[in-house]
Amino acid sequence: MTDPKPADLDISAARPSFWRNLSFVWLVPVLALVISLGLAWQSFSQRGVAITISFPNAPGVTPGETTLRYRDVVIGTVEKVTFSEDLSQVVVHARVDKDVAPYIDSEAQFWIVSPKVSTRGITGLSTVLSGVYIEGAWDQELGAEQYAFVGSDGPPLEQPGRPGRRITLMTTDGRLISEGAPVYYHGVEVGRLEKPRLTISSDAIVVDAFIEAPHDRRLNSATRFWDTSGFSVSLGGQGLTLDFDSIASVVAGGVNFDSVYEGGEPVSVGHVFTIYPDETEARRNLLARSTADAVSIAAEFGESVSGLEPGAPVQYGGLKIGEVSAISADIQETETGPQIRLLANLAIEPDRLGLAAGAGPDDVLDFFDAAVERGLRARLAAANLFSAALVVELVELPDLPPESFQREATPLPILPSVESNLPDFTATAEGMLERINSLPIEELLDQAISLMASIEAVASSEGTRAAPDAVVALLEDTRALVNDEATRALPGDIRAAVADLRGIVAELKEAGAFDNLAAALKRADEAATNFATASQEFPALVEDLRAVAAKANSLEAEELVAAATRVLDSADKVIGTEAARDLPPALNAALGEIRASLAELREGGAVENANATMASAREAADAVAEAAAGLPELSTRLERLVAQAEGLIAAYGDRSQFNDETLSALREVRQAARSVSQLARAIERNPNSLLMGR
Amino acid sequence: MENARRTQSVLTARRAGLVGCTTCGRVHARQAVTCRRCGSRLASRDTGSLQRVWAWLFAGMIAYIPANLYPMLVTSTFGKTQQNTIVGGVIELFDHGSWGVALIVFVASVLIPIGKFIAIAYLAVSARSAVVIRGHGRQHLYEVVEFIGRWSMIDVFVVAILAALVQLDFVATVHPGIAAASFALSVAFTMISAQNFDPRLLWDAYEADDT
Repeated sequence: MTDPKPADLDISAARPSFWRNLSFVWLVPVLALVISLGLAWQSFSQRGVAITISFPNAPGVTPGETTLRYRDVVIGTVEKVTFSEDLSQVVVHARVDKDVAPYIDSEAQFWIVSPKVSTRGITGLSTVLSGVYIEGAWDQELGAEQYAFVGSDGPPLEQPGRPGRRITLMTTDGRLISEGAPVYYHGVEVGRLEKPRLTISSDAIVVDAFIEAPHDRRLNSATRFWDTSGFSVSLGGQGLTLDFDSIASVVAGGVNFDSVYEGGEPVSVGHVFTIYPDETEARRNLLARSTADAVSIAAEFGESVSGLEPGAPVQYGGLKIGEVSAISADIQETETGPQIRLLANLAIEPDRLGLAAGAGPDDVLDFFDAAVERGLRARLAAANLFSAALVVELVELPDLPPESFQREATPLPILPSVESNLPDFTATAEGMLERINSLPIEELLDQAISLMASIEAVASSEGTRAAPDAVVALLEDTRALVNDEATRALPGDIRAAVADLRGIVAELKEAGAFDNLAAALKRADEAATNFATASQEFPALVEDLRAVAAKANSLEAEELVAAATRVLDSADKVIGTEAARDLPPALNAALGEIRASLAELREGGAVENANATMASAREAADAVAEAAAGLPELSTRLERLVAQAEGLIAAYGDRSQFNDETLSALREVRQAARSVSQLARAIERNPNSLLMGR
Repeated sequence: MENARRTQSVLTARRAGLVGCTTCGRVHARQAVTCRRCGSRLASRDTGSLQRVWAWLFAGMIAYIPANLYPMLVTSTFGKTQQNTIVGGVIELFDHGSWGVALIVFVASVLIPIGKFIAIAYLAVSARSAVVIRGHGRQHLYEVVEFIGRWSMIDVFVVAILAALVQLDFVATVHPGIAAASFALSVAFTMISAQNFDPRLLWDAYEADDT
């Protein structure tokens, strides 16, 4: 039983095509591959150009971190730091951006920027946190590519691609000029100095400087450089001057420049400027210039010109019209042989002289021609009281021997000069000081001192001290006497005496004494009036006084002082005598005697005798009356005296110094006369007062 | 006889004329096209499986290259920038003495991904023939690969968290590098690759041996 069995079919799935079976998933690895390759290519293509920079040392440069910058923009990174073959240099391998690389050519310079604290401030502060970086500088032009460079110490002065101008300066003192010191124009920093270097051939010091554009256009033949480092103190005709610029330039040094006159011409390449020690020096130097306007003339001086310096003003009536530009000596042939004359070149500025704006040199010379005819001369004068500096004055003096303006003289027209009056002043002052010096002031002082000592000795003696006690005792006794009843009885008697006196006065009046007195006083008055008129000429007197003061110098002060010395000496002797010293005891004794006599008075009933005394007084009054009869005669004599005084005054004239003394004497006479008249009037009014004392 | 014993030990569904649903596990007759329970498509063997495995594997391997060349982490502290690749980071950690951490990073970022590449490649190559490891060994290997794959992401997570947290401007900043993205992609691709592998293929070789 076999079932027909179909033959086994060889059924096999048609082998699927490889491509048909390909899954879409394969896109994923392909995409991944493409992206990866893309990334790789991108990194490779952006991988910059490798360059090497060699430095003597590379502080702070870290591979992978330190960046390379151009104008402060990161353009690359340091990849590794190695040494050169002989270990003498550090070689920094860096990669810079492809876009920038073509510009980095042979001119490129690299330096390491690190924080730096200097007198000009703090730089590179940003690198404190971020670490140092390497800065590069190059121009903006494509050049032959270069891959190995030598780094510099610091930023170059003249950075490629920065407009400006490199100049050379020369100086003889390099102490205050340091590398990197600023160059100022009117105090604004416009450039920097490079490292100063000595020239091989001479002592001069040459330093290159870079002046940034656009200030480099200010450089021309009128430009002067001067040192502004440190500070300067100068004492000159203008007084004390203290000069210093910024603190930075005090410490680090600096150079300033300016155009010292208008219209300088552009300088050629390679022009070397000189650095002057200071501004004055720099400006002074320019006086050798030929400014468009100034007219040079010379003045010849026959005396020492020490103290006169170039730059000193030339004054006319106190107004500065120019400056001394140079001082020179010139040999002149004369009959007596060659003679040296001193010439000062004066640069006169016509516009200061007041000439018209367009005045040329000829106008100026014409002016001097005419002025010298009138008596214009040059003269040296002191700039001020306290210095020896001189200025040149142009003065017009009368009564001078005629001289002419030597217009055709070579090299410059010569202005005649007159001798200055400087030396006289000095001599006078010296003479006066000498005389003062020779006065015997010391001796005088010695005498005064010994006098004082003597006075002190007298004052301190015991007798002197005892005197006051004696006086007190005397006063006590006197009081006792006054209190005595008998004394009180005295006034009655006195009144009688006064009555008598009145009688005497009446008699006097009758005798006409007062009239005479009045006449005398009148004369005195007149004299005084005369004197008053005389004193109206006081101004003239002042004139004479000045003359007298002028002669004071010649007064015999020595004798005066000697006399004073002598007087003091005598005084000393007098006081120093024993008699003088004995005086106080004697005084004491005298007082004691007075006291004793007072005591006697009291005891001996002296008061009772007062009446008798008064009687005597009356007798005395009678005597006075007789005497008064002689008063008219006295008045007449007084009158005569006044007349004589008047004559004397007239004789001495109004002007003499004697007047002064006479004036005071007369005043006193007048006063005396007035007192006499007052006394007379008082006595007339109240004769009692003569006795009562009030 | 020997063959019979082996056959007993590995009786495949295909040999038994059956097909299992990969989604719900129901067994159907060979001819069934869709699962009667869950409606999934039924296939005795996934024919495109190996192809997809290889494709994803390659993608993963390609992505792994930049992941190691480029920096994983860009840290900048006080203006100083530091870039670390995976291996560089491991070396640095090791230098600093953090051996434990270095080991974890090394295992998670280097050992596991590379191990996975090798394992998946081996599985894919060996699917058709019974080489070296037989039977359940390969099944275990496959399961391990699938399980461990996700742990490779540990590095990526660390970078993601750091980058999100450390943003202190100048003081300290952390940025993920290109490597972080490519590493994440690499891990993802290998996981997908492992997912696409049909482990049933492992047994077909025995079936062929038996016939």
